[in-house]
Amino acid sequence: MPLKHFLFVIVLFISFIQTVNAAQRHPDPDGCFSCHALEGLDYIDKNGVLRSASIDKQHYYSALHGSVPCKDCHRRIREYPHKVENGEVDCANSCHVEEPSEGEPYTHKAVVKEYKDSVHGNGWYKGLTGGNRFREAKEAPVASCRFCHGNELYIREAELPKFKEAFDHLDSECGSCHQGEIWLGQFGGHILRRFIGSRWNKNDHNKMCNGCHADHERMAKVEQKNEKTGKKEKTGPRFILASDSYATTLHGRLLETNVMQGASCIDCHAPKGFRHGVLRDEKSDASTHTDNLAETCAQSDCHAYATHPLNHRFVKTDLHDIDMIPVNNSIVPRDQSRLESGWVKALIALSPIIVILGGGSLLWWLFGGKKKSVTFSILGGDAFQEKMIGRKPKSKVKKKVHQKKKPTATLTRKEAEDE
Amino acid sequence: MIKAIEAIKAIPNPQKYRYAVIMASCTLFFSPFLFLPGLVDNPDLCGKVCIRRFYLFFPGMSPADVSGKMQVAAIGVYILSLILITTFFFGRMWCGYICPVGGLPELVSRTFSDKWKIEYRALPQVPIRYGYFSVYLALMPMLGISACTLCNFITIPRIFDAFSGNPKGLAFALSAVGLVNLALLFLLGFFATKGRAYCQFLCPVGALDGLVNRLGAKLRFTRRIRVERNRCTGCNICARNCMTGSIKMVDRIAVVDQLSCMSCHECVDVCDWGAIDWRAAPLDEDPKRKKKGVDFHPQPQWQAVYVSPPLSKNK
Repeated sequence: MPLKHFLFVIVLFISFIQTVNAAQRHPDPDGCFSCHALEGLDYIDKNGVLRSASIDKQHYYSALHGSVPCKDCHRRIREYPHKVENGEVDCANSCHVEEPSEGEPYTHKAVVKEYKDSVHGNGWYKGLTGGNRFREAKEAPVASCRFCHGNELYIREAELPKFKEAFDHLDSECGSCHQGEIWLGQFGGHILRRFIGSRWNKNDHNKMCNGCHADHERMAKVEQKNEKTGKKEKTGPRFILASDSYATTLHGRLLETNVMQGASCIDCHAPKGFRHGVLRDEKSDASTHTDNLAETCAQSDCHAYATHPLNHRFVKTDLHDIDMIPVNNSIVPRDQSRLESGWVKALIALSPIIVILGGGSLLWWLFGGKKKSVTFSILGGDAFQEKMIGRKPKSKVKKKVHQKKKPTATLTRKEAEDE
Repeated sequence: MIKAIEAIKAIPNPQKYRYAVIMASCTLFFSPFLFLPGLVDNPDLCGKVCIRRFYLFFPGMSPADVSGKMQVAAIGVYILSLILITTFFFGRMWCGYICPVGGLPELVSRTFSDKWKIEYRALPQVPIRYGYFSVYLALMPMLGISACTLCNFITIPRIFDAFSGNPKGLAFALSAVGLVNLALLFLLGFFATKGRAYCQFLCPVGALDGLVNRLGAKLRFTRRIRVERNRCTGCNICARNCMTGSIKMVDRIAVVDQLSCMSCHECVDVCDWGAIDWRAAPLDEDPKRKKKGVDFHPQPQWQAVYVSPPLSKNK
């Protein structure tokens, strides 16, 4: 074999090894896939529901945590076969990646803490992930991490070309300062992905919130703790119909037509930090607390003037105005408080006039004959005659037939001509 | 039925065309066709095609805030500037001929008997209209009432939505705010003489448009409804037919208020003497007749007519 050919084979071999290494980017050191990669790995759980324990390898590898070994998260699994409960994950655990600046393992602890302190924090599952997914989806009053953070694609398909292009420059652009393969390998992609833009846009956020909050029956079951009495109470229509009332606001309408200047749910309810800290309006830390509202509105370009003292009532604008949604909503039928609105009172005042005018029109049309109709004086007919036409209305003229005609101050046109 | 046909026959031909244009614009703007908003992927007249949102003003607004608002409502800004430019040269064509929100109540109102309508035309238009306009622009938003809640412009599109099966329309019509707006539509539209009371008093686009209309009327080359005074016999048929109450008889001569006039031409159609017309410059520079002892062409404070030359020859 000539040297040339031999070198060619060597080069081929090396390139082959490299491709194999690339595939090894998704390791399975714990051997989980020896069982979980099998198709049809089904079992029947306590509730008698048939569930699948099979994991689609390709699907998993392309997911957000696709390059992370299973046991990095599923730490309580020590022996095989393992108990179902031991598969639960605590997201606040330290993580697989090491933060290069600190040399410590990365952790979601801060996010988890913010979330635990929020309204959604103390609920379904203490570890925040785990338990029966179906039960959670149906019953859970508050969501766990997993509920919103599915193991989805790390980079959206539409953004992939953009990401690839940027990734090709990673060595030259970022690498000039951040040297070392560890950093580039572990963080380059993370950071680049963030530069490309957030994975979710405002509409995706709203979609996530509406997943639960637009479900009226589900929201009607929610109980909130009353701060004064300390007891748990059912929420009112304002809470149950929050998603509907939001949709009637300008914010909702703009996002509905894909104009991204509108504010999404979390733009107002969790604008700061890791954007997980949704708090109740009564809490003094809440972004929607009366004292903090001006600041929250002012964070956008649209309402930068909200902090101006003259506009202090601007922030009182009701963005969950239930007067804008149907009064006889079937979810809150017996709530009389909705009928106490000022708008309903205005309607009660206006409707008799409409009935009189409408009924009168109809009767006149049926029985009025061909007589030319002139607007009633009480409805402004005389005022029109006097002010706009400049003539005395007929009703007044008739009464003065027998009186002497008084000399008028101004001359009529005919008289002026005669002179 | 015969009565109805006779009534339709009695309408002057140019007005029939105007009604047809309004009906056409209703189909172009509203559900179920939504042709024009659909061109920019908008499901109704709200959101990015709203022509009245960006001019809300708040104290402390920087120019950047204002331009930011304009960018959000860019399409609305274009539409409104187009409306204002046409108004400047040709009079309020949008309001009188195209605007479906003002046009529909007018058409409905004309089918009812005049006896059972409220006569709003004698009310002082300027204080009410511009008073509400300023409240709408600055005060209400400052007090924390959303301009969208106050917006009754959307009522008519929502009625169309409701009839075309869009749940959004029905939802609005059944809401507390929607019911009141519906009632206002009846009182200010269907049961108002000539059906244009909303345009006269509450419409912010109309208020802006009226200002431009009056400004343009001062120039001689712009086209407006103008009165040729030495032809006017003072028969007041134009004032009685004017749908916006913009013609006032002053010393038995019609005077047009260019703030409210929509150039709808109804006065032109009913005038037997050709004294009132949609024209560029006044012709009556040299009146043949005059009145003794009275101010011949009085200019009321709140009404605008063209600037007339001094009547030196006759004096």
